[in-house]
Amino acid sequence: MITPEEKVVIYEAAVAGNNNRAGLAAIRGEGGVRRLSPEETAAADRLIASLREKGIFLVTVLSEDYPEALRYAPDPPLLLYGMGRRELLRARKFCIVGSRITPPWAEKVGRRISEELSERFTIVTGLAEGGDAAAIAGALPRGDLIVVLPCGIDGCYPAAHAALREKVLAKGLLLSEYAPGTGTAKWSFHQRNRILAGLSEGVLVLSAGKRSGALITAGRALDCGRDVFALPYNVGISQGEGCNDLIKAGAYLVTSSSDVFAVYGIEPREREEASAEGDEGRILTYLRENGETHVAALAGSLSLPIFETSALLSSLEIKGLVTKTGGNKYAALS
Amino acid sequence: MIAKIICYALNGLEGVPVEVEADVNKGVPSYDMVGLPDAAVKESKERVRSALKNSGLLFPMNRITINFAPADLKKEGAGFDLAIAVSLLKASEQLLGADVKDIVFLGELALTGDIRPINGLLPILISAKSHGFTKFIIPAENAEEARYLGGAEIYPAASLGDVVRHLVGMQPILPLEMKEFVPGLHRKSSADLKYVKGQPIARRALEIAVAGGHNLLMSGPPGTGKTMLARCLPTVMPDLTFEEALEITKIHSVAGVLGEEGIVTERPFRTPHHTATTVSMCGGGNKIVHPGEISLAHGGVLFLDELPEYKRSTLEALRQPLEDGCITVSRAGGTFTYPARFMLCASMNPCPCGNYGSADRICTCTPAEIRRYRRKISGPLLDRIDLQVEVDNITYDDLTSEDVNEDSAAVQERVNAARRIQRARFEGCDIHTNAEMGEKEIQEFCALTREGDKILRDAFERMKLSARARARIIKVARTIADLDASEEILPKHVFEAVSYRLYDKL
Repeated sequence: MITPEEKVVIYEAAVAGNNNRAGLAAIRGEGGVRRLSPEETAAADRLIASLREKGIFLVTVLSEDYPEALRYAPDPPLLLYGMGRRELLRARKFCIVGSRITPPWAEKVGRRISEELSERFTIVTGLAEGGDAAAIAGALPRGDLIVVLPCGIDGCYPAAHAALREKVLAKGLLLSEYAPGTGTAKWSFHQRNRILAGLSEGVLVLSAGKRSGALITAGRALDCGRDVFALPYNVGISQGEGCNDLIKAGAYLVTSSSDVFAVYGIEPREREEASAEGDEGRILTYLRENGETHVAALAGSLSLPIFETSALLSSLEIKGLVTKTGGNKYAALS
Repeated sequence: MIAKIICYALNGLEGVPVEVEADVNKGVPSYDMVGLPDAAVKESKERVRSALKNSGLLFPMNRITINFAPADLKKEGAGFDLAIAVSLLKASEQLLGADVKDIVFLGELALTGDIRPINGLLPILISAKSHGFTKFIIPAENAEEARYLGGAEIYPAASLGDVVRHLVGMQPILPLEMKEFVPGLHRKSSADLKYVKGQPIARRALEIAVAGGHNLLMSGPPGTGKTMLARCLPTVMPDLTFEEALEITKIHSVAGVLGEEGIVTERPFRTPHHTATTVSMCGGGNKIVHPGEISLAHGGVLFLDELPEYKRSTLEALRQPLEDGCITVSRAGGTFTYPARFMLCASMNPCPCGNYGSADRICTCTPAEIRRYRRKISGPLLDRIDLQVEVDNITYDDLTSEDVNEDSAAVQERVNAARRIQRARFEGCDIHTNAEMGEKEIQEFCALTREGDKILRDAFERMKLSARARARIIKVARTIADLDASEEILPKHVFEAVSYRLYDKL
């Protein structure tokens, strides 16, 4: 049920188009929320009805389920458009982001961490390629997932992820502060990032160059006092310089989901470790000790025939213990 | 007096008999040609006139009519010159009692009277032989091509004068000596796997691809030897049989790309540039249709370097020939079917800059660029490429290493063994290799053990494989098992097959 006060917010934010501090000033009348004229009420009602037809619901800053964390963040949106599972707004939320150019191994690690974190948190992320897509892929099986769009709630940016958007919509929740039909602008990504950070208890950065947008999300997280986590990178990989800088500045270093759980005092569920025995075990041990290794080098060091090594590595990959990193090289995932 | 001479025209890869009739009458001197000759045939008037004169023969100053029968077939090219000249000589009674009835005359004339070679001699000879002709006079320069025909009297002539002297019995031409076919005799390519440094994974993929007739996609940064690896493919393929060699030679002869040796003895390796048009790839032409690159690659390898650089329409046109093993092209001049059963080997970079996925080098491409680059290859085309392999970045050590790698002959032996198993398996079926298996054959011949099935199921869930990938993996696993001489597809075969997979969907 939408209260008359909420209707004022909806009117100011959506009909008059002030989904920000200016709108807040307009809402404040003398001695509380101002009243709408009959015409204004009719306009607000029409809007609510037309959005409901498209399956879009509205969450105002006065709504009961407006996320508490976001309410107290700097400059919260007065109105959020949503599609999908509204109840996720009340869940514990954790944000995972990464730049669009994310190395394949980091995508795999991110996916795994996202999958494990989604057992306790609702994962919050964007819809972009790279890090965001990895976070979505990890959280999708459970479906506890909030994707915040930088465009209108009915839009899809990047357009190539239309299919991914549908999947998220089917199992999770889409949010946006922009009315349907709104396109993207340079600033809308930055604006969106404040919501990502504001919604979540913490932000994990999977990959970030020196000037990545993921760093803006991390900065926003600091603005509202959230924890910042980052994946460590080798020296000299530009896609990870931002992450390493965050760690230098005091972010939590994360290599697995238990590092995040530890910060929040959550006892991680005992996980069934996929086992690797015999030659598979030897390969895994070697990879853990020596890092990324070429198949041929691996075969040479363990004196195994090369195509048998390929087969063993495939088996380990299927078990989720190693990953192919490109150029016929493999690395251990844990 | 009327003279009739037999000649042959080409219709695709088939020779069609054409009767050249010459009538020399008393009357006002004139010289007419009827029976649908094209411009090149009509121009033969002047060539024949000069050739006769310069061979010391008379050009009859009478009313001359030349007719080509059947009249409804379009005649093209200069291959009728010799037949026209001989028919004129016969009609003007310059050949005395020479018998020209059952001889097929083929050749183009030079003004001096010399005989020039023609394209498509071998297919003509083969067709003519099947029509019952056994005596041929052919251009001397085409002689090598005819040496493998067998069962025919073939007289190579260098000039019109020679032909006349032969016909009237003054100086008979010796019939051509036939040759035995030896596969690989005229090997032009010096490629051999032993010169390939490093690349253990790609070598193995090459072997599997050839053993099972699978198409292959190599991905890797520029300058890592993808082309060199591809060039080795024909050297590990089974040796050509005589029938295969004749079929390939026919196509190459029609296209006019046959070398001096006259027969193709090694498997073709064609590398059309990525600016190639659909027509040059599939075949085409104005009136008659010339075979395209895919037909010239028949029996061998079609190598497409930098696959995404090719025009998408050109790549899409490959789909049907990849399925059917032949291509049918229709033009104004008729509809022609050329064989096109080739192995497709393609190479590409992982992204426009080539460094995507590399741990130590930085890819500077945006996701949109990578998507655009990969989207140029459609799913259905990728569907027909069973093996995908990454080619390693070679190091200085690899280049200078003294290690001697296995040579092509050793690999070829294993390939032959695997092919023998497949021949036995597909006895009585319409297919020859594992790659050609459809859903029905996969169910019949590729039963997985319960363990193997579980692996595939796990792989699907973990790696998010598409349904298409399943058939590809099973087919490759079957070939790996064949190379291993294993009746059953074991888990290790499935695992290895899973590892030759890069782009499930692009």
